[in-house]
Amino acid sequence: MSIINYASREIQFKIVYYGPGIGGKTTNLSYIHQRINPQNRGDLVSLATAAERTLFFDFLPLNAVVIKGFVTKFQLYTVPGQVIYNATRQLVLRSVDGVVFVADSQWEKMEENVESFRNLAENLARQNMSIDEVPCVLQYNKRDLTNIAPVNYMEYVLNNGKRRLPSFEAIATTGQNVFAVLNAVSQILLHKFSKQNEVPHATPVSVAIPAQNVIPHNDNVTV
Amino acid sequence: MNPIPVLTIQDVATLQDVLSDFLKKTEAELTVVIDRGGNIISQFGDMNLMDVTIIAALAAGSFAATRELARRIGEVEFNALYHQGNGSHVFMNSVDDDTIMITVFGSRTTVGLVRFYSTAAAQNVANILKSLQRNGHGLAFDAKDVSTAPIFTEPKPASS
Repeated sequence: MSIINYASREIQFKIVYYGPGIGGKTTNLSYIHQRINPQNRGDLVSLATAAERTLFFDFLPLNAVVIKGFVTKFQLYTVPGQVIYNATRQLVLRSVDGVVFVADSQWEKMEENVESFRNLAENLARQNMSIDEVPCVLQYNKRDLTNIAPVNYMEYVLNNGKRRLPSFEAIATTGQNVFAVLNAVSQILLHKFSKQNEVPHATPVSVAIPAQNVIPHNDNVTV
Repeated sequence: MNPIPVLTIQDVATLQDVLSDFLKKTEAELTVVIDRGGNIISQFGDMNLMDVTIIAALAAGSFAATRELARRIGEVEFNALYHQGNGSHVFMNSVDDDTIMITVFGSRTTVGLVRFYSTAAAQNVANILKSLQRNGHGLAFDAKDVSTAPIFTEPKPASS
């Protein structure tokens, strides 16, 4: 849930990276933390096990654009992907404004992807939010591996809801499309937020997603 | 999205009066009011001590994590949590169903004093938050105000 603070002239948003275990959620945040201008970010906090599996969440605060004199602050979280940690995922999802679903492209992970996406929808529904309304972007990660499913197949199994979600092929370890995904979800989120605060007779502007990064058929982004 | 809470300059000033009074009475170093999602609503005290954004996220997580423990002993949740360090301590108490108050304090005061004054402070904060406006707050911006340029950029291509 975003908060508008007129005294500090800040708007806060919460973005959660969701997906199956060992899918690359933490790697996304680590890459963003390494590459973004240090002046625009805080520390990356990881609550992980000794084996570097996320136990509770990872957290990275970012400062971004100024809109009408208000600084937008994005707080990026990951959830633990392992099935047993569903209670933790529900806690981290609380007050979420946008979601990045990080799917593992390997064939053997497809069932876990589908189960995790279903779990996301269920957990959103528990806090009276719909997967069809929350700003959400799909990231098909690990595209550099050999045993991966074709993008069309991943679209078929994951992107088959009422609303076609923007989707990106990515390699989080090298950073390919990591920023594109972050920008896409942030733009959608800001546009949704602006609609809630719309000036009468405002002209809608389409969401800017670099064309080369978007999987075909996904140009009708619902904001 | 749910209705958006709006803090006007007057709201923030009123909240800070409550927090300032609380810090003065307790001699604590910092107090932060956050929602249970980890967003900061208001803060007062020595901000240079630590990254308050991270403290807020971790405190919200810590508070939420103990709910299950509370349930196991027949409680809905713990109303307050205390983390004792060697020199610095953290006290957290529930303000309402959506809000938590965090207090960081050192050796100048005691947990008893912080706990005693936190009850009244939390009640005052809860009353102020109840009256917050939701939507229709006059922050009028539309899609044209959101640049189509990428929001986050990398300084240069990463070496692969």
